[in-house]
Parts: sequence; structure tokens; C-alpha cells
Amino acid sequence: MAASLSGLLKPWTPRVFLVRWSRYNPYYLEPEVRKEAYSQPESELSAEEKEQRELKMIRPIKAAASGVTSSVFSDPVLSKFINMMMEHGNKVLAREIMTQTLENIKKKQVEKYHKAPEGQKEEIECNPYTIFHQALKNCQPVVGLESIRKGGKIYQVPIPLSDKRRSFLAMKWLITECRDNKHRRTHMYEKLSQEVMSAFVHEGNVIRKKNELHKMAESNRAYAHYRWW
Amino acid sequence: MLHLFYSSSSFDFPLSLSVETLHVDPKLTSASASFQACQSEKHLGQFYTLPSAHFRPLFPHGLPYRYQQQVKTFNEACFMVRPPALEVISYLKKADYSKPALRYLFYGVKGSGKTMSLCHAVHFCYTQGWVVLHIPDAHLWVKNCKELLPSSYNSARFDQPLQATTWLRNFRTTNEHLLSQIKTKRRYVWTKRESTDEGRPLGELVNQGISRVKSSSDVVGALMKDLRLQSSQPGADFRLVVAVDGVNALWGRSTIKKENKSVDLEELTLIHNLKKLMKNDWTGGAIITTLSQTGSLYTPKSAYLPQELLGETGFDSMDPFIPVSVPNYSEKEFESAYLYYLDRKWLQHPQSRTEDGKKELSFLSSKNPSMLDRICGFL
Repeated sequence: MAASLSGLLKPWTPRVFLVRWSRYNPYYLEPEVRKEAYSQPESELSAEEKEQRELKMIRPIKAAASGVTSSVFSDPVLSKFINMMMEHGNKVLAREIMTQTLENIKKKQVEKYHKAPEGQKEEIECNPYTIFHQALKNCQPVVGLESIRKGGKIYQVPIPLSDKRRSFLAMKWLITECRDNKHRRTHMYEKLSQEVMSAFVHEGNVIRKKNELHKMAESNRAYAHYRWW
Repeated sequence: MLHLFYSSSSFDFPLSLSVETLHVDPKLTSASASFQACQSEKHLGQFYTLPSAHFRPLFPHGLPYRYQQQVKTFNEACFMVRPPALEVISYLKKADYSKPALRYLFYGVKGSGKTMSLCHAVHFCYTQGWVVLHIPDAHLWVKNCKELLPSSYNSARFDQPLQATTWLRNFRTTNEHLLSQIKTKRRYVWTKRESTDEGRPLGELVNQGISRVKSSSDVVGALMKDLRLQSSQPGADFRLVVAVDGVNALWGRSTIKKENKSVDLEELTLIHNLKKLMKNDWTGGAIITTLSQTGSLYTPKSAYLPQELLGETGFDSMDPFIPVSVPNYSEKEFESAYLYYLDRKWLQHPQSRTEDGKKELSFLSSKNPSMLDRICGFL
């Protein structure tokens, strides 16, 4: 009788363990997802990489996140953008919108390509990925503004931005622009593709916003020395 | 124009040659000669370009939506020559048209190319000068009906004017050149003041149906009956091909409701007339059909075989028929489709041009034509 009752006394553990966002012991190492890293032969590795391999054989490794794949088509910038577009954890929908956007851009460009005369065919960029990356680069601001309090008044001071912050701002502006300032009956992929295509040629509302920020920073150049870091 | 996409396994780069550019005339007779040169087993897996003069009239309806968008993007319509379509075309060439019409049924998993094979066979018949009766999707006639009128001919039945008029318009676009030559054999009375006499060209009948929307379903029925009777006669100078996509709709269920009571399939004029056409009691033509689970009502997603989708009544009515299985792409066909996309600048991702990328595409799509098309869409 004691044997059967003691089975009920074990501590309660949940059925599903949330592993990835729990706090891993810093002892755990990050997983290596890329296929190329495993196909390198022994001779090509430098001393540090050999040490890393030894370490990985001993130490435990974190579980890989569900968003990373070892596919040859995976793109970290694209994954970040999809995560930023995602609402209520609906990654399927966000990815679907992204793929439809890329397909839409490619369709328009390829149609233009096939209708263009021979001389102009090389100038038309058909790759939606290069267009997307270039558009994001065009939208990135160079300097940002920070509110700094000095002598009771708040000044808008121009400050340098890190690369991460710049790319984040570009993506955020693109998404908010498409969500708020477009006609409500168009699909998100249609709005996004129009905005990306115009950002690619330095037109559109996002580029305009970036330029206005630059102008503000330029006009507040006198307060630049208020920054102490 | 025949594009040959052919890669040998030893090379990394595709060898795409356009050999023997056959001069295609807009007129049907000389085009049919060059078309026939392309339809042999040597050309399996290769793409055949439809002349643009044929594309507009033949396919106002009937092609899958994604394929229509692809045609618009690439500015050309290319069909891949695949074994199921070639099989049916060879049977059509050898069949005896004094015997009752043969029924061909394309079946396969979702996205394996049944509708495209049907359109390929229909294009063959068009080049031979046959009358094409192409119903793009029978499922559209049994669901989402906005207007349902009681039929003027038979008070127990219901008419669907909108669907009938759109179909008549498309029928007229396809068969314009033949409608003036074929004459009606009977006198049809539509209302007290309107009637179509015997011996008038069929074009008049079709125009009557398009202009008088109320009697359009009856016009459709009369048209089908006339064509069926005329092609059966030994002296007929035309052959009839009946192409129905989603034929399992004729023996399934419908979601049309009339005053909160669901309508039985037998009570719809269009379906009733179509079922009469599907019986093989007429000669001088062929019936080519496709099964379709995607548009069908109250059928499980995993069903794709004729027995499961047609049901007992459907199978018994269609029996005997020639089932033609449409499988996914073979290795060679997948290669060919991949090279076609590369040539048309559709695969833009730099990684998709590598061997690893190709293997990944093959795995992700499991060589299913529509899945490959969807995946290559954003790559």
C-alpha cells in the first residue's frame, strides 16, 4: 500500500517544458545550424576552431530556436522582419505575407523584364531579395535624435546609432507605414511590395520620414555637444 | 515554337537549345501539322509553347488561376508534354468515331496536373477543328448560386441564369469559327414571341441565350442536345469533345438553398443536361473529364481515387470509362520544370541555382507540380 501511495507523492512537473526562453545556465553553448560548418575537413580548421570543436563535444548545447533552419534559403534579415511583422504569435500568417510580398515584387519585375526591349533588359533588377535588402538599406537613418534634459529644458540632440538600431528603425517604419497610412482594402503584401519598390528607388513615405529625421538632426547640430557618451 | 530543355547529368549548367523553330501560322490547318510533330514520346518532359492566336479563344476559362498569372508574367503559355496527356491524345487519334463516345477520366492527388492535362488534350482537339464544349469547373454550378429561378420549361427544376450566360459567352469565344457553319436541327420556342427556327446557325442560338438571360439555361440544354444529336449522324462534318473539370460534382451534393430547403442536384437544369451529355449514347466525339477534390463538397481531403470521389451512383453512371492516372513529376520532368523556371528568370535566389538548392526544392515540393510552383514563386 505504501508503494502505490508514494507514486502520488512525486513533485508535480508540467507536461510541456518551455526550454528556449527559460534561463539557460551560461554553461550551455549556442547550436551551430549551418550545414557548411560540418562539411569542413579537419585540415582546414585553425587552432581556435579545433578548440571550439573540442569544447562542443564536452559541454551541453541549447535547443535550437524554431525560427532557425539549416535550409540554404534562410536569411537572418528576413527572419527578423517576419518576427517584427508577427502579431499574437501567428508566424504562419507573417511568413505567408512575406512570401506573397516577395512573389509580388518578382512578378512585377519579371513581367517588366519580358516586355522590355533587348537593350533595357539588363537594367531591370528581378531578384526580390536584393530589392528588399537594398530598400531596407535605403531606409536606414544615419543619425537619430535623443531627448536630453539640460538646465530644466529638454533638447533633441543628434546621436550616432548602432547598426542594429538602424536596421530595426528601418523595418519598424516600413511596417507601421504599411499598416497605418495605406488604403484599408488593399492586402498587406500589396502595400508592402509597393512600399519596398518605391524605397528601392528612393521614393515613398519611409524615405521621406528618414530624410525629415536627417533634416531635424542637421538643424539641431548645435546641441550635439550636450551628448556625454 | 518548340523549346527543348534538356540537361545531361554530367554537366552542372543546363543546356537549353531551341531546336527546329517550327514556323507556326495563325491559321489552324498549318498549325495542326506542326503541333502534331511535337506530340510524340520523344518530347516527353519538354515544353510546348501555345501560339498566342490559339490561347485567347481557347482558354477564356478552364486554366488554373496560378497558371493564368504565370502566363501573364512570362508573356507566353507553355505546356509540359506529360505521359497522361500524351496517352489520351494517342487514344483520340486512334479511336473509331462511329462507335459510342469514349470517356476518359484524369485522377491524381491534389496539384498533380489533372486540369493542365485536360487543357492539353482540349488544345489538341481544337487544332483538329473539333467543337469544344469545355466546362471549367462543374463545382461552380452546384455552390454559391446567387440567383435561382424556377425553370420555364419544366416547373420542377431550377435555372441558374448567371452561370449559364457566362458559360455561353466563353463557349462563343472558343467556337466562333464553327458556330456559323453548324445549323440547328429542331425548332425551339422560348417565349410567345421568340423562337429559333430549324436550320438557323448555332451562333444565333448562343446569342439568344446571352441576350435573354432568363432562358439561358434552357439554351444551354438545347445546345448540348443539338450538338450531341448532330455529331452522332454519319454525315456530320465535325466532332464534339466534351471536357468537364471536376466531374464528381455531378453526383455529389449541393449547398444551394431555396427558401431554407437545400436543392437536390436533379432539380438544376444545367446539371441535368450535363448528366445527359455524359452518357455514352452518342457517337462522333469524346468525353474527357477530371476529378477534383479541392472544389468538392462534403468529401474528405485525402480522397483522390475515382471510387471515393464519384461515389456509387457516379461510378455506375461513368462506367465504363478509361481512368488515366496523373502522377507527380518524375526526375526528368522535375529537371525540365526547374530549367524552364531558370530560363524564364523566375528562380532568382542565388542559392536556388546550386545543386543543394535544387535538392532542397525537390524535397520540399516532393515533386508535386503545384507545390513546386508555389515554392519557386517566392524564391
